[in-house]
Amino acid sequence: MRKMINSNATEVALIGVLLLIGIFLSLSTDRFLTLGNVFDLLNTSAVNIIFAVGLLVVLIAGGIDISFAVAASVVQYITALALGAIGGGNWAIGLIIAGSVGILFGAFNAFFIHYFRIISIVVTIATFNIYFGMLMFLTGGVSIYDLPDWLVTPVILFEHQAANGSWSEITLPSLIMVGCVLATWLLITRTTTGRQIIAFGDNPEGARRFGINIAAMQFIAFGWLGLMSGIAGLVQAHYVQEVVPNALYGRELDVLAAVVLGGARLGGGRGTVLGCVLGVLLISVTQNGLNLLGVSPYAFKMIIGAIILAAITLSNTGLERLLPVFANKGEAK
Amino acid sequence: MKKLLAAAFAASLTIASASPSFAADSGKVGVVVKIGGIPWFNAMNAGIDEQAEKLGVDATMIGPTSADPALQVRAIEDLIAQGVKVIGVVPNDAKVLEPVLQKAKDNNIIVLTHESPSQKGATWDFELASAQGFGEAHGKLLAEKMGGKGEYAVFVGSLTGPLHNAWADAAIEYITENYPDMKVVGDRYGVAEDVDKSRSTALDLMSAHPDLKGFMAFGSQGPIGAGRAIQERRMIGNVFVVGPSSPGQSRRLIKSGALAGGFMWNPKQAGEVFVTLADKLMKGEKIEDGETIEGLGVVHPDFENRNIIVDQLVAINKSTVDKLAAMGL
Repeated sequence: MRKMINSNATEVALIGVLLLIGIFLSLSTDRFLTLGNVFDLLNTSAVNIIFAVGLLVVLIAGGIDISFAVAASVVQYITALALGAIGGGNWAIGLIIAGSVGILFGAFNAFFIHYFRIISIVVTIATFNIYFGMLMFLTGGVSIYDLPDWLVTPVILFEHQAANGSWSEITLPSLIMVGCVLATWLLITRTTTGRQIIAFGDNPEGARRFGINIAAMQFIAFGWLGLMSGIAGLVQAHYVQEVVPNALYGRELDVLAAVVLGGARLGGGRGTVLGCVLGVLLISVTQNGLNLLGVSPYAFKMIIGAIILAAITLSNTGLERLLPVFANKGEAK
Repeated sequence: MKKLLAAAFAASLTIASASPSFAADSGKVGVVVKIGGIPWFNAMNAGIDEQAEKLGVDATMIGPTSADPALQVRAIEDLIAQGVKVIGVVPNDAKVLEPVLQKAKDNNIIVLTHESPSQKGATWDFELASAQGFGEAHGKLLAEKMGGKGEYAVFVGSLTGPLHNAWADAAIEYITENYPDMKVVGDRYGVAEDVDKSRSTALDLMSAHPDLKGFMAFGSQGPIGAGRAIQERRMIGNVFVVGPSSPGQSRRLIKSGALAGGFMWNPKQAGEVFVTLADKLMKGEKIEDGETIEGLGVVHPDFENRNIIVDQLVAINKSTVDKLAAMGL
């Protein structure tokens, strides 16, 4: 038991903090634990979770990427224009176009990182500017409101009318999110490729000597993030029913913070899908709780920052130092 | 240190005195807006371009990549260094821009601002809607839609943006005075420039306050996000969203009733006024009380606070939205 807690310190700490916040919110507001609110949390976190599991794979492989959110904006544009050109399409075609274009953007990053041995943060700062600059330049900042009907029609998977007449629903983004989370989990924990990515992220030189194909690792990691960004971009365009060039600008830092909060190590080699999902959820639940509690919006950022700090402190310190009961009595003073 | 300052001052003087010869007779005009790439400022850009061509002025618009006051400061510094004659600004944060606008003025640059009344450092600020008139119009619309009673919430673009908050103040005051059965819930929420945040906050607030009947959103994306939330909760006809929005973007929502309506002024017209005023002031003309200026109508400037405020409101509702959207707004 103790061993399990210690080896998954981050996840345990996050679940603990989430439970504490959850219990507190259920006691102090009568709205937190309603179906409607839980569904809202799922629906509104879906896009960030899809981004987050993609970024997780890159972080595990020892890289970092800040270009994925604006790349997703470019994907939105290309997909919207391509769908317009072929005259409609459907969800399958949309996802294939968005995913493939996303993979291309990821591969572009991986190409420079691998063949020219440039640090990933430098490459992605450059591509971040290239993608966003290209988007603003080519579109002139014009949004697209005329999207195909299938894309802007909400797809309701489950709906429920509460006693007071209010509707709550689970929509397509949540299903796509679950698919992406499962696929990433399978990739990391159940495939040889996943283990190779972890080994490569932990010790690139060791992995190379061991015979792991380094180029493949980079392309798979960044390609995976590209795929997820493409899908996330399409999903975001779906629920806001429009394509706006800077709608996703700045999202990369929110997602990065959530993934690192979820225990992914910036140096590579460590990170779990569960932790990453919990990281995103912790931030969404906090924001949601503050609204439900009626806390003044002037205090929001302060409280969110404090909770991130508390969760990270808890997971980094580990239970032994915070709760000396668990520690060896002989060493404790 | 003193020497360094003196050198810097001398350098800035040379730049300032060198610029007119460099920019020939007419002089350059640079307009820094809140954020590039959103329909509102695209329309303003169109207004600036058209009027610039008409009057033969060299005017350009600069749109930062995010609504960050620091990016605006940098853009204004760049314009000062380029030696422009007029700087126009639609500020993200009035206070943050004060020093850099003062610096521009010290370099003999004419500073025009918009959507920031009584901006310190401005030569003139112009408004196409008075905060009072605009806020009251929205307050009245929301009260009519809600039948004069019930709870409502207020979104603004940012908690420090001067104009959104002045509208909200005027609207809330109007409602409190005339409709005592209406009650505002919570403080105001600074989410209205972000469609995702507006949507999730509106969903949260509807959960927190089951009797909530209305949203008043001031900020380009606020009414859109709140409208989407109403659609999601199937509350069209029960919860009303009012607020200024970009007609092309809000057309579908207004037609479906998820967005009850709002008022706006024409950003394209604001762009034109930037250039018209810049041209007038560059020629050394003064602005007189009671005179008629293209795009503003008859003006009664407030010489003490350097404000030119007129009321040129355009209603956005089911019957006008198509026409406005067709104008590219």
